[in-house]
Amino acid sequence: MENIIEVKGMQKVFGSNTAIKHVNFGINQGEIFGLLGPSGSGKTTTVKILTGELSQTTGDVKVLGIDSERFDTSDFKSKIGILSDNSSLYERLTVYDNLKLFCKLYRASLNQIDVILREVNLQDDRSKTVSKLSKGMKQRVLLAKALIHKPKLVFLDEPTSALDPANMAHIHRGLQKLNDAGTTIFLTTHNMEEATELCDRVAFLHNGELKELDSPAALRYKYSTHAFHVETFDGDQLVIENQPEKANQIKDLIANGQVKAMHTDNPTLGQIFLKVTGKELV
Amino acid sequence: MNIQRISAIFEKDIKDFMKNMMLLVLPVIPIVTALMFDGIGEDKLPLALSYVIVGGTFSTVTSSCIMTMMAEENEKKTLRGLIQSPASLLDIIVGKSLVTGLITLISLVVSLVIIGIEPFLNFRVFVGLILLFLFFLLLGIGIGLFSKSLAATSAYLMPVIFLFGFTPMLNAFGFAEDSMAIKITDMFPIMQAIEIHDTNSWLPMGILAVWIIGAGLFTYVCFRKSMTDD
Repeated sequence: MENIIEVKGMQKVFGSNTAIKHVNFGINQGEIFGLLGPSGSGKTTTVKILTGELSQTTGDVKVLGIDSERFDTSDFKSKIGILSDNSSLYERLTVYDNLKLFCKLYRASLNQIDVILREVNLQDDRSKTVSKLSKGMKQRVLLAKALIHKPKLVFLDEPTSALDPANMAHIHRGLQKLNDAGTTIFLTTHNMEEATELCDRVAFLHNGELKELDSPAALRYKYSTHAFHVETFDGDQLVIENQPEKANQIKDLIANGQVKAMHTDNPTLGQIFLKVTGKELV
Repeated sequence: MNIQRISAIFEKDIKDFMKNMMLLVLPVIPIVTALMFDGIGEDKLPLALSYVIVGGTFSTVTSSCIMTMMAEENEKKTLRGLIQSPASLLDIIVGKSLVTGLITLISLVVSLVIIGIEPFLNFRVFVGLILLFLFFLLLGIGIGLFSKSLAATSAYLMPVIFLFGFTPMLNAFGFAEDSMAIKITDMFPIMQAIEIHDTNSWLPMGILAVWIIGAGLFTYVCFRKSMTDD
């Protein structure tokens, strides 16, 4: 599969602080990639380097086959969509007028406005002035703005942070649909459920260093103890190792009708992050 | 330069302008000043005082308007959205300057009609006015981008209005004709525009061009700084 993002030996130094330490990774075309890490881990700095808002101190960065020195070209900008902490809206204008501006700047069809407003569940709010919208609604307009020109690659920095569960689920479905249509999504989040649900692969970033990179399922398997957790009707909680000699113990419990619940020991991404870095994902 | 992108930014700015009371009152200031000057006496207004109106229009309308718009875009991070779009630096600057140009034109023409437009109906003078507009526009864009916040623009606007807009009024401070202050301010853009009336030399236009290049470089540096977080 073709790499849409290639990062080799990327470092970013701010004064005496090294924010990103020799990071290497590649992102495949058509995948949803999640960069996970607590606040201050270097997620936003990474996104800013990949979108040309910051330049790396050392290392090679290529996005869509374009070298980082050419990130300020119209060709590059028209192929990517960005939702970051630097994204903002014109507060005195309506939702429609905000999106119309970006439709024209990206030479997208104006028909796309209604399509994208449906995707972010704001079809009834197109005439509302942005200043009168709630934080969650503004976040959805920003998402619409990032996607209005059907970019090949989208960078979403904490896209659902201000959303309620219903709208978060709606946005997740929309992102999945967008990805099914071939758009590559680079997502930063500290919402582990979101990462598990959406991402094909995730990377853990801690103090500017990449600690792990794999699919959520592979990481959960890797950090699993592979034991079975059994809850009996007597209220006992048993941990039975996944070994051939333990098979009879499980068989007997089932045969005697004692098993109330049984599941494998698969840690969550949050638990894995804690294990790898010694730090909670907050 | 892309006309579609420029017109998109212009269309957005004109809608934003019409909803911004702070900007809406700006073009009225020179018109009211012109009405006051016109009521002073029955004689024709001296050229230097006419240029107080011209300088006032360019500083309080052109510079102030574009400065406020750019500072607001910068402060509220909407400028980054434009920069991240395929619009070029020139598309953004031209698109954002059109509204300012339009209201400057309306305000200047109305003000000059009030005080007497005849001295300005001359090709060389007209070119001088365009050069003045470009200087005040670029200075406004540069300061707007340089300002960390919308509130800070007020502090920067005052020197622009008094030094560059009301330069002919400095004579009222009683400086001697051959004083250093007068020699320096004689080189200021408005004084060079007045000089265009008195001479056939191209030197005043050359000096105005130098002021424009200086303001243009300042704007370019400020814009490049706004493009990234580096």
